[in-house]
Order: sequence, then C-alpha cells, then structure tokens
Amino acid sequence: MRQYIINRLLIAIPTLVGVTILIFLAMRVIPGDPLQTIYSESTGVYILSEEELAEVRASLGLDRPLYRQYLDWMAQVLRGEMGYSFWTKDPISHMILRRGPISAQIALFAIALSWLIGIPIGLIAAYWRNSLLDQMSRLGITVFLAVPSFWLGLLIILFTVLTLRWRPPLTIIQFWEDPGANFSLIALPSMTLGLGLGAATARMARSAALEALYDDYVRTARAKGLGDMLVIWRHVFKNAMLPVITTTGLALGGLLGGTVSVEKAFAVPGLGSLMVQGMQERDWMMIQNLVLVYGFIYVFVNLIVDISYGILDPRIRYG
Amino acid sequence: MRYVTRRQFLQVAGVTTGIGLLAACAPGTTAGSGVSLVVPTPVPTPAPELSGEMDMGMMRPTGSPRHGGTLRTAFGVTMNSFDIHQGGGTHVLSQMYNNLVRNNLVNGLRTIVPDLARSLDVSDDGRTYTFSLREGVTYHDGTPFTSADVLATFNRIMDPPAGIISPLKAEFTFVEEITAPDAGTVVFHLSAPRAYFLNVLAATTGVIYSEKSLQENDFDLREVIAPGTGAFRFVEHQPAERWLFERNPDYWDAELPYLDQLEMLHVPAWSDRGTAVLTDKADMSWNVAFETWEEGDAREDITANQLPNFGAYWLFMNNAQGPLADERVRRAINLGVSKHNLKAAFGTQEVINITRWVPQGDPYATSPAELAEMPGYREDKSEDIETAKALLAAAGYGDGGFPELEILSASGPQAELLAPAVQDMLSRNLGIPTKIRIIERASLGSEQQQGTYELMVHTRGHGVSDISPRGNLWWRTGGSQNFGSYANPTFDALLTEIDDETEFETRKAQIDEAQNLLDENPPEYLIGYTYHLPMWNNKVKGLALDNRIFAEWGRMETVWLDV
Repeated sequence: MRQYIINRLLIAIPTLVGVTILIFLAMRVIPGDPLQTIYSESTGVYILSEEELAEVRASLGLDRPLYRQYLDWMAQVLRGEMGYSFWTKDPISHMILRRGPISAQIALFAIALSWLIGIPIGLIAAYWRNSLLDQMSRLGITVFLAVPSFWLGLLIILFTVLTLRWRPPLTIIQFWEDPGANFSLIALPSMTLGLGLGAATARMARSAALEALYDDYVRTARAKGLGDMLVIWRHVFKNAMLPVITTTGLALGGLLGGTVSVEKAFAVPGLGSLMVQGMQERDWMMIQNLVLVYGFIYVFVNLIVDISYGILDPRIRYG
Repeated sequence: MRYVTRRQFLQVAGVTTGIGLLAACAPGTTAGSGVSLVVPTPVPTPAPELSGEMDMGMMRPTGSPRHGGTLRTAFGVTMNSFDIHQGGGTHVLSQMYNNLVRNNLVNGLRTIVPDLARSLDVSDDGRTYTFSLREGVTYHDGTPFTSADVLATFNRIMDPPAGIISPLKAEFTFVEEITAPDAGTVVFHLSAPRAYFLNVLAATTGVIYSEKSLQENDFDLREVIAPGTGAFRFVEHQPAERWLFERNPDYWDAELPYLDQLEMLHVPAWSDRGTAVLTDKADMSWNVAFETWEEGDAREDITANQLPNFGAYWLFMNNAQGPLADERVRRAINLGVSKHNLKAAFGTQEVINITRWVPQGDPYATSPAELAEMPGYREDKSEDIETAKALLAAAGYGDGGFPELEILSASGPQAELLAPAVQDMLSRNLGIPTKIRIIERASLGSEQQQGTYELMVHTRGHGVSDISPRGNLWWRTGGSQNFGSYANPTFDALLTEIDDETEFETRKAQIDEAQNLLDENPPEYLIGYTYHLPMWNNKVKGLALDNRIFAEWGRMETVWLDV
C-alpha cells in the first residue's frame, strides 16, 4: 500500500506540472491586455500610454521572458507564497487560506447531505423495488439530476429573499469565530449542491443495492436465518457503498475545486467566487494559482478514494 | 483682488454645480437579470441652487441626527490601487480624506461648500484663486495639515514624478502654478479663467494627501493606505470582502461624523446588492439591479431612487476613413438609429438615460422636454429617417450601394443586445449593411487607440460633468483621446470660447451652440448615459439620497441612522 501511495504521488507531480504549464500559457494567449483593463476600469477616462503600460508591466514582472515568469511562479509556489494578485496586490495564499475553509465546508456539508438523503432512499427503493415508493423516489431522483444547481440556487435565494426576507451573510464568518453565523453562510449552498448530488447518490445506491440483494452471499445470509435489517446492514450496504464512494470522490474533487456557480448564486465569498472575480478582473496570477489548487485537490481526493476501496473491500489489494 | 464672502463663494459654487463621478460608475459589463418593461421616468435637469444653511462648510443634515451605529453598504469595493490620484477607489477611500472644497451632501450636491479651505478669494480676472485653509486640522497620524500638503498633492497630479500615473493631469492643464505664501494659504494661478475649476477641485478624486505621506512613500501611494484628515479612520481591509472605518474623534468638524463605524461590504453583483438591502444584510447601495430596485420601491421600509450618472454607452465611429469620414453619413446614422429603441433593447441590463452631449445632472444640459422634440432624440423617427436617407443620397449612397461596415463589440450584453439592435436599424432604416465582430472587452481599448475599427459599441465615462474637459480630450482636433480622428474647426473655436467663458448665460448659449454643432456634424453616436439605482433602508438619513441631482459614490460623514 505504501509503495502504491508513493507511486501515485510521483505520478501526480508531472500531472500538476502539466496543469501549471497549460494554465500559464492559456492566460497569456487570451486576447486583450489585462493591465489596460485594470487601469481603464479604475481610472475611467484615462488610457495608458505605451510607456506607462510598459512601466506597469515591468512593475508586475510581466516584461520578463515567459520561461522566467513561469519559473519564478513555480519557485513561489514551492515556497508556499503563490505570488500577489494583479488587481489587489494582496498575497494570493492569504486569500485562498481565508476562503478555502468556506468552500471546503460547503463541499463537505453537501456530501454529507447527499449521503443522508441518497443512501437511505437508494436502499429503500431497492428493497421495495417497483413499489410506489420506488417510483416516487425515481421521479425525484430524475428531477434533481436534471435541475442545474445554479438554477436551484437562484430559486432558493429568490424564495428566501421574497418570502422570508433573509439571505446568507455576505462576508466570511469562519466556524471558529461564530458557528451559528458560519452555518447560515454555508447552509443554503450546501443544500443546493447536496440535493443534486443526493439524487446521483440515491441512483447509484439503488442500482448497487439491487445487484447485491440478488447475489449468492445475500441469499446465503438469509438462508442462515439472518434478519432483513442485519442482511442489509452487513452485506448489502457495504457492497452498495463502493460505487457510491467512487461517485462521491469524483464529486468531492469537483466541489472542493470550486463550487463556482452556486457560490456565485448565493454570493458566498469562497474559492469559486474568487475564481469568478479573477476571471472578471483578468487577474492571471489569481487564476493560475486557483487552477493549481484545484488540480492538487483532484489528485489528492482521487488518491483518497482509491485507498478507501482497499479498506472497504478486502479483496482489493494494491501492489 | 476682491474678497469673496461666504455667500458669494456659494453663489460661484452654485453656478458651477456638477461634479465628477468615480470612474467605477461608468457602465460596466456586469449585467443585472430579469425583464421589465417599466423604467423610471427621466429626471429633469436641475437648476443650480444655493444653500443658505451652512456655516463655513459645516454640513448639517435635516431632522434630528443621532450619533452612533454602523452603516453597512453593499457595492463592489475592490481596487487595484490605494492611491486615489492613481485610480484608487474613491467610493471607499474618500471617507478618509478631505478636499479643498466639496459638493454639499445635505442639499443633494447642488452647491459646492468649503472643505479644508475656509474661504476663497477670486481675482477680478478669474485667474487667481486664493484659498485660506482651516487651522488645527490634523491627519489621522497626528501630522498637522498645512499648505505644503496642498502644494505637494497638486504638484504631483500636474507634474507626476517618474513612475507615477496621473489620470487627473488632463483636468489641470490650465493651472500654471500653485504657490503657498504661508502655511495657511494656497494660491492657484490659472492661464485663463475656468468656470468649472471648483468642480474639478470638489470631485471625489480631489483629496489632499499629506506631504509627509507622499515623501515617505516616494510619491507613490498605490500600496499604502495613507492617513487622511477625513471623518473616518481606516480600521481593516479584507481584500474582496470588506472595508471597515471608524469615527475620527479628532475630526475638524466636531459634530461629524454621526456614525461610529462604516462597514463597506464587497458585493459586486447588482442583484446581490439589491437583495442585501432587501434582507437587511446591508443598509444601502449606490446601484442595484432593476428587479431588486422595483421590489424595494414597493416596500414601505425601503426607499429607491434613480440618479443620472456620467457613464455612457456609445457607438464610436472612425472618422478617418471610408464612408464614416463623411459627416453626412455620420449625421444620417445619428438620425436613423433610434435611441428609444436602443433604450428598450437594453432595458433588461441598465436603464438608459437619453441625453444630448451634455448629460443630465449638469446645469448646461438640455431638458428632457426639449429633447423629446429634437431631431435624432425624439421617439417618432419617421421624419428623421427621411432626412437621413436624403443625407445618404447626397453623400452618394442613395442607390443602396453602401459598403458593409463592421461593428466591433465586447462579448456580453453589448454584443447580444446593443450591437444587433444597431445593426437592425442601420439595415432597415438606412439600408446600411453591417456585420458584428465580437471581441474581448479588454481588447476594445487597444483597437480604439489604434483606430482599427469602423463602428464600435463601447462605454466611456467622465469625471467632471462640464463639457470643456472632455470636449478637449475627445472631440477637439488632435485631442489626446480623439481616437475617431474627429476634426471640426468650428467646434474647436467654439470650445476655446467655452473654456474661457465664466458668465453662466453666455456660456449656456455657447454650449447649446456646441451641442448643435455636434448634432449637425457628429463625431460618434451617443446611445445614452445611464441611471444609477440607489436603494436604502429608511433608517439611513443625512445623505439626501432622495434629492440628489446626480450620482456620486463618495463621502458619507453626514449620514446618520434613525433607529
């Protein structure tokens, strides 16, 4: 197992380097000069002369050859600094560390909610296959799979604003500062994401449980005289969890990497909002570093999912 | 030299009412959402008024102001510079500073009142402005305020050291020299009188930095939140999240500010600003999405208003070549394309304010009633289109042989709504074929500077509402931002007269004539200025938000909370 983990981590290095090169180059081939944008947005009527533009470019280190810019960025990343925002001049690492916990909380709460909803519904639907309960659950699953999360988010925010005259806070409130206010910040985005993900989880759990319910070992367990609940808990549930974990792992990578649309819908100041702002302001450094963080999260989460297979299913061994 | 009394000072100020807005107030690409066919009614051009309830610039709001509380605002508060003279966000930072003179917050920005200047003498020829400064004013770090600070501030604007970008420089080209005979006096020597000089000084960008701060930071404050003399002191800044200011207990006006704290939340999206006010997560916003504005307007505990703003949408024309070099073609386009249709087409995004070349909010603007009858501006286009067709025929395009033109537009609502609407009207009303090319917004500026366009839908705003500064930049032959190569010697000569004239009625007649010239021989097509839609909880008092003559995202020391 240890060797497997080391191998996976080694493979991750070129993957992440490839990601950094791609995003670094992509930022520089997009048409339009971000400096011109930044200055024209902030000074209105004023348009930078070529000389002034060159001066600003030099002050941000953008006059250096591309390979130097890239290597300097990589050196900063290795030192854990990540450079400074073009727009605000603030340390990007500080902004990511401040907002990361909010996005992580939203993602983890969404996953927890999806399991809380999806797994019981999946198991119940499988156990009472083709019953009215099953039909209804399938309808619900289809609806929530079809509805985009940002649209659901907009509906929810419209409802809370117009009927309850309430919306989530607009500033970052960390859990350790005020747990209640923190929960009010993440509750609706988590719910929005959790409902869609819960539908996917329920579908996966249902089909896996259906498969397990008709397997020989379940029949054997029943023949031994075990009660239904015990059979489902000991034999069906565990086996049904493997595909659920795969789905969840992939989703978690996406959620941790940026719940962009939902954060935007609720104006939650997380990493997703930061990414949108970086794109609007053409803040190359911000985008580069966020993409790198997303890449790292994907690699890490995939590794955790692979390791969890071995724990859940003793037949799986990594050499 | 004649002495100007407080009343005379206010009269001068009243005549020159109108002020710069933040560059950030220019229309942007952030779109509101939702559809509504109901738009606010136009605000008539205000007549300058005098304020008689002030004592040496001590602004006092009506009602019974109370001290205490925190005002929470909702709008975008990110900025790429903390140096107001290098593009720093005045809507946030101006709370910390004072100008020499400023717009009166308590009478709807209708007059200019003393700020750090205590009084003003203007020479008979209008070329020398002598400001006597307040005594006993200190910066937040304890440094005393003197004339050296004024000198250092404006000299840096007018003659920036190497590496300093000075967007305001163009607004002070007529200032020959600034002198400081003593620590309490500053004298501005102008090359010629300028009716709008006080407006330039009163703009939210006209803040005074201390000489000490400038020298300590090598005259570059882009990354320094420099101490000011203002009503609020800096407490905290969380990037892209919020700014927090606290009451300055040593403020020179002991009555102000009323608030204990000012918390400015970063809320970039217009709809989120609106929902923030609707749900009491914020107390006010300078500009919200239209659908939330309507919701607030219907509520009893919230007030919503619409204010003219000095940012505009334009259809720029390259006068240098092709059919657009012919003034008859440009005039035909101005007559044949309906501003009212464009306003309707863009109504889901921003509320367009149809004006002439001088926007509402400026004392020289044409009134909406007059505008409604004028060719090119009226709603009924039938006569205008006939005239436009005749002009095209006279220019040699009467047989439908007009070459295809390219309309350049930024991606987003401008390309999705404005450009197609222009294209449709050019085709249907005038038979002018066009194709639309969509590019990144960031690329429009360089295309414009290089002159590599024929028609371009884009935004442009200005700080001071007066026509002189922007007329010289945009429309004077060879102007530094005359990217469309417009050349009109008659207009140039008239603009020189307007620059130097100070008598209101004479100047009004000249500006009317200049607008006629621009209508007859247009450099470009003005789609329209925009309205800002401020919305606030009724407990927010003291800013005269319901009575302002234009939008100014600026200082708030007179605000108080009625709780």
